[in-house]
Amino acid sequence: MTPSPPAPPPLDDDLQGAVLVALGTEHAAVWVYGLVSAFLPASTASAVTAASLAHRERRDAVVALLARTGVTAPPAAAAYRPPSPVTDAASAAALAAVAEDDVAAAWRAVAERTEPDSGGELRRLALDALTQAATTSVTWRGLAGRTPLVPAFPGDGSAT
Amino acid sequence: MTLAVSSRPTGRRLADWPPVVAVDEEARPGPSRRTVLQGAGLLVALTGVAGLSAAGCAAPEGPDELEGPLAAARADAAAAGAAGAAFPELADRLPPLADARRAHADALAAEIRRARPDRAPAVDAPPPAAPAPASAAAALAALRGSLGTARDGAGAVALTTASYRCGLLTSIAASCAGLAVVLA
Repeated sequence: MTPSPPAPPPLDDDLQGAVLVALGTEHAAVWVYGLVSAFLPASTASAVTAASLAHRERRDAVVALLARTGVTAPPAAAAYRPPSPVTDAASAAALAAVAEDDVAAAWRAVAERTEPDSGGELRRLALDALTQAATTSVTWRGLAGRTPLVPAFPGDGSAT
Repeated sequence: MTLAVSSRPTGRRLADWPPVVAVDEEARPGPSRRTVLQGAGLLVALTGVAGLSAAGCAAPEGPDELEGPLAAARADAAAAGAAGAAFPELADRLPPLADARRAHADALAAEIRRARPDRAPAVDAPPPAAPAPASAAAALAALRGSLGTARDGAGAVALTTASYRCGLLTSIAASCAGLAVVLA
C-alpha cells in the first residue's frame, strides 16, 4: 500500500454520490454477514469472518477518505430488509451473494467516475472491492445454486 | 432460487440502499461512446474511421494498452478449451472459465476497435497455438498461473487508464481472481 495523500481535492458531486452509495453497500454487507452467519455451515465460518472484516475495513477506509475531503459519512441503517427470507444455508448464501453483487456494482460505478490522475486511492479500493466480491461470492453462489460461480463482468449490472 | 435472477430488485428493496444498478448503468459505455462520437461530429462522417481516432484522442501511437489483456484472455480461453477437450475430468469446470475469458476478449477487442481503429490488424491477428499440457493437474496449474497474471495485468491497467476503461478492467481483474478461486 502506498501512503494516502494528505489533502486530496474534493470529489465532484457525481463521484461523491457514487462513493456514498458504495459506502452504503459496505454497511449493508456488514449487516448481512451478521445475519447470515448463524445459518451458514460451520465450514464457511472463516470465510464469513474474513468477508465481514474486509467490508468493515473498506467502510472505514471510505469514511476516512470522505473525512479528508470534508465530508461527514452517513452512518449505517439500523437494519436492512432482505429481498427474501433467510431460513437456511442456501437462502443465507443467496443473500450474501446479493450483498456482494451490490458492493461490486457500487464500486464499479465509483471506478468509472474516477480520473487516472486523481482517482488512485478510490481505484485501488474499487479493485479491492470487486476482487473480494468475486472471490468470496464463489462460495456463496455455490451454496445457493447460482451459476455461473464467477460473473464475467462483476458489477456491470448484468443479470448473473 | 428467486435471488438468482438479478441484483437489480434487491438493490432497491433493502432499506436505505439506493438503486445501485440504475446509477451504474449511467456509466456504461453508451455515454462514453456518444461523447466521443459527438466530439468527432461531422468530421467522422467525412473522413471515416480514421477521423474518429484523430478527433477523439490525441493521436495515440504504438500498441493499445488493452492488447496485453486481450492476448491473455484469448490465450486462457484457448487453453481452457483445449484442456477441457483433452481431459474429460475437467469438462465440467473449464467451460465456464473459457466462456468468461472469451467474453473478456470480446469486450476488450470491441473497445480497442472503437478507440483505435488503426490497431484492428493486431486485434484480428490469430492467437498463437496453445501448448498441450501433459496432465489435467498441469493444465489446472497453468491456468491458475495465467489467471493470476491476467488479474494483476488488468488491475495494473485499471489504475492508470481512462474512466470507462477503468471500470471494464477492474471487472475483468476481479473476474480472473474469482475464476482462479474456482480452480483452486
